[in-house]
Amino acid sequence: MFRYEVLIGLEVHMQINTKSKIFCECSTQFGAEANSNICVICTSQPGVIPILNKKAVEGVIKTGLALNFTINRRCTFARKQYFYPDVPKNYQITQFESPLCSNGKLSIIVNEREKIINIERIHLEEDTGKLLHKIGGKKLNYSLLDLNRAGIGLMELVTKPELSSPQEAVEFLRELKNIVEYLDTSECNMEEGKMRCDVNVSVRIVGQKKLGVRVEIKNMNSISGVKDAITYEVQRHKKILNSGARLVQETRFWDAEEKVTKSMRLKENILDYRYFTEPDLVPLYLSNCFIENLYKQLPELPRIKKARFIKNYNLSEYDASYLTSSKMIAEYYEDALSNLDNKNSVTKLLANWISTELSAKLNASKICITKSPISSKNLSKLISLIQNEIISGKIAKIVFEEMYEKSIDPEIIIKKRGFTRISDESVITEICEKAIIESPNAVAEFKIGKKRAIDAIIGLVMKKSKGQADPKLVNKILIKKLN
Amino acid sequence: MSRKLKINITELCSKICSGEIKCTNIIKSCFNNIKKIDVIVKAFLRLNEECSLVKAMQVDNKVKCETSKYGSLEGIPIAIKDNIMIKNETMTSASKYLENYISPYDATVIEKLRRAGAIFIGKTNMDEFAMGGSTETSAYQKTLNPWNTEYIPGGSSGGSAAAVSSGMVPLALGSDTGGSVRQPASFCGVVGYKASYGLISRYGVCALASSFDQIGTFSKTVKEAALLASIISGKDYRDPICEPLEQINYVQNIDLNILKMVKIGVPKQIFDYKIDNEINECFNMALNKLRLEGTNIIEIDIPSYKYVPALYKVIMCAEVSANIATFDGIRYGYKTSNGTNIDDEYSKSRAESLGYEVKKRILFGTYILSAANYYKYYCHAQKVRTLFMNQIATAYEKCDFIFSPSTLQMPVKIGDKLSEECDIFLMAANIAGLPGITIPYSFSNSGIPVGMHFMGSHLSDKKLFQVANAFEKISGFDIDKYPNI
Repeated sequence: MFRYEVLIGLEVHMQINTKSKIFCECSTQFGAEANSNICVICTSQPGVIPILNKKAVEGVIKTGLALNFTINRRCTFARKQYFYPDVPKNYQITQFESPLCSNGKLSIIVNEREKIINIERIHLEEDTGKLLHKIGGKKLNYSLLDLNRAGIGLMELVTKPELSSPQEAVEFLRELKNIVEYLDTSECNMEEGKMRCDVNVSVRIVGQKKLGVRVEIKNMNSISGVKDAITYEVQRHKKILNSGARLVQETRFWDAEEKVTKSMRLKENILDYRYFTEPDLVPLYLSNCFIENLYKQLPELPRIKKARFIKNYNLSEYDASYLTSSKMIAEYYEDALSNLDNKNSVTKLLANWISTELSAKLNASKICITKSPISSKNLSKLISLIQNEIISGKIAKIVFEEMYEKSIDPEIIIKKRGFTRISDESVITEICEKAIIESPNAVAEFKIGKKRAIDAIIGLVMKKSKGQADPKLVNKILIKKLN
Repeated sequence: MSRKLKINITELCSKICSGEIKCTNIIKSCFNNIKKIDVIVKAFLRLNEECSLVKAMQVDNKVKCETSKYGSLEGIPIAIKDNIMIKNETMTSASKYLENYISPYDATVIEKLRRAGAIFIGKTNMDEFAMGGSTETSAYQKTLNPWNTEYIPGGSSGGSAAAVSSGMVPLALGSDTGGSVRQPASFCGVVGYKASYGLISRYGVCALASSFDQIGTFSKTVKEAALLASIISGKDYRDPICEPLEQINYVQNIDLNILKMVKIGVPKQIFDYKIDNEINECFNMALNKLRLEGTNIIEIDIPSYKYVPALYKVIMCAEVSANIATFDGIRYGYKTSNGTNIDDEYSKSRAESLGYEVKKRILFGTYILSAANYYKYYCHAQKVRTLFMNQIATAYEKCDFIFSPSTLQMPVKIGDKLSEECDIFLMAANIAGLPGITIPYSFSNSGIPVGMHFMGSHLSDKKLFQVANAFEKISGFDIDKYPNI
């Protein structure tokens, strides 16, 4: 049995976040009625000419700058020709010889080790329309064409084949998605097709210089799909290589239902796209000033934010990672924090509540944090109630449940349900006396030196007071009484 | 309009606006004339009589109101080549593929002409998708040369040239990718002007070869060409190639002194070609006339002229193959009735609706752009294009304009072929993106006109009109002469 080395390259397509399409003024709104966002340009009527959307160019450059790319000062566009009904011109305007961005990199962390993945290029191109072959489950004997998506700006990012496991590929996509979401240059929503991915996989025996036979897998629309497809494909390669058979260079697609890759076309049938310079668009010359201006607009990126969270908020690596794992969570955290008075003492408490209680709830109900039933303002109120010892941690959890369910202010819940803390010494003394009488065993153990036995009595006091007794006061009174 | 009406457009326009001449009468006589002449010449694919008369009546009503504002072409009839979009009108590009295609929008030039008050009386015949130099590849009809109906009118804008030359309409628009305005203008004895690349918006012109395409004008005189250019040129955000220039008035008074001040270059490469005797004679006479006016004529050397036909063909066909790809029968246009699957439907729809010349160019373009041939042909042609442009630029350091016969050959009889080099001096302007104008100079023994061509440097259009204006004056060509049909 040989030891194998896996080489994976990704081609990621992301819809650029712009209001209008890349070469016309049509809206990019998702989910609009079929063929409602179309015009003479994106349906390719005779005599039309593309007009480049500057915002799309800016989106690509911002992404490039965040990923350490060189921005090319002179860029050209090209026509990539192939006949397909979802491409109205029967060629796609893209970039071939001089893309907007060259030679970038992204750092990923897998198994606590950092790895730098080099990225060849990011170029600008237009999206295709959509063909519909069935309605509901029913297959049609004709096809329907929706051109709403045709002409929406895409950035295509192509990595070097430097990823070596499905985990690395997944981590790359997560990190990329996170950065792009921070930049707001794409929504990266895979379900809406706003981020799509093709994967190149090749496997070779460790030590072999020549690259293994490359297989391209198309049609993946989820990160887990990418992981499954690579895992499947690597196994398939190894099996074939172990059996002594030869792999063929081909394009395959991922069948998400059967969870297998299937052959689409062999190398001999690879399309000749007949690229040539787009004569309708003048070359794009980018000034230093234009690029510097975009650089200034870059927001704080996840890695830097994380470092700041650890340093300024004294958070653990784990909490900081979680909080910066998406722009939305980080914003939620800092929003909540800004509402609190004694910030320095609650940074960890707040982080905990978000990373455990809130995230569990949101995950269970599949709700994005931006739509959380508990607003950052209400969560900070809850934290401040705990911090000021108005309610105990235990009560706080009950309050939290209700806040999540009803999306209301914790102070209202506390008032309505009488959850305020008991700090009246005479009331607590009375409960403590009852508890001592009801716990003869614990009292006896305490008296012979087992100091921990007091905990059982405290528990009983808390139970009797429905958790509302001030635990510090309970402790003080019990010790006094028992001694 | 009676072709006997010897009056210039500006004068006619002001008479319409003052109420001295009724626009309705002009339009009516224009259509009467067309009905007599076009039975023979076949310049028009479609006429727009009803709408034109309604428009003419609106103009006449406007005249009654004292506060009205008038465009510089108010009430003037104009013919439009059938590859330019006029909203809600059929646009076929003389192809069967677009037989029933209705333009959903106005081309920029049409918008501008509309604002200037022009009346679009009809769409003119052309080579299919402007591919050809004789108007014979039209899927609908063959247009004849009004001066001698056995001969071709030239092309691809042959319909527009014949319409103006026979006096059916005073002005027309065409498109010029490799001489498609200037060659038929020369063959039909009218003024044909192609602007600098980027001076006139191409938005709304059915693309042939995008990096060469420019709109051009047909008129009886240089002054009218300048008037049209003043209206249709200028910046347009819908065409990124279009220069961000304000509207310029190109109309100028004739000043013969200009001929004393300019240096005219004559490429020595002209004599490498076989030129028709009559054309050669006219050219030499024209040079003598210029010398008599005091023009400084110098010889210039542009060795890569010889590559012009080949590099034109390679780049043009490459762009054609992509531009015509959109005509696939899916969204609009001709669709086969017996396609068995998508690929079959594509090939049948195209095979059944596109003509021989179109198919030939698509195949050639597809071949040269294939991965195996791209560097050998397309890339190579682009390099030669740069070389040629550099040589032209060097020539313009020594002279202001390049002067040549418009064509190397007289028009041939219908069915016969012109040589590949015939339009070489016209193509040169497209390849280098330069302005060019052909001015009728004389007649051959067979009574067919001969034209001369001036090519200027990029965006020198205003000066080009000045020189052409003066040359027109000294040429002695009788612009009031019309063919007998």
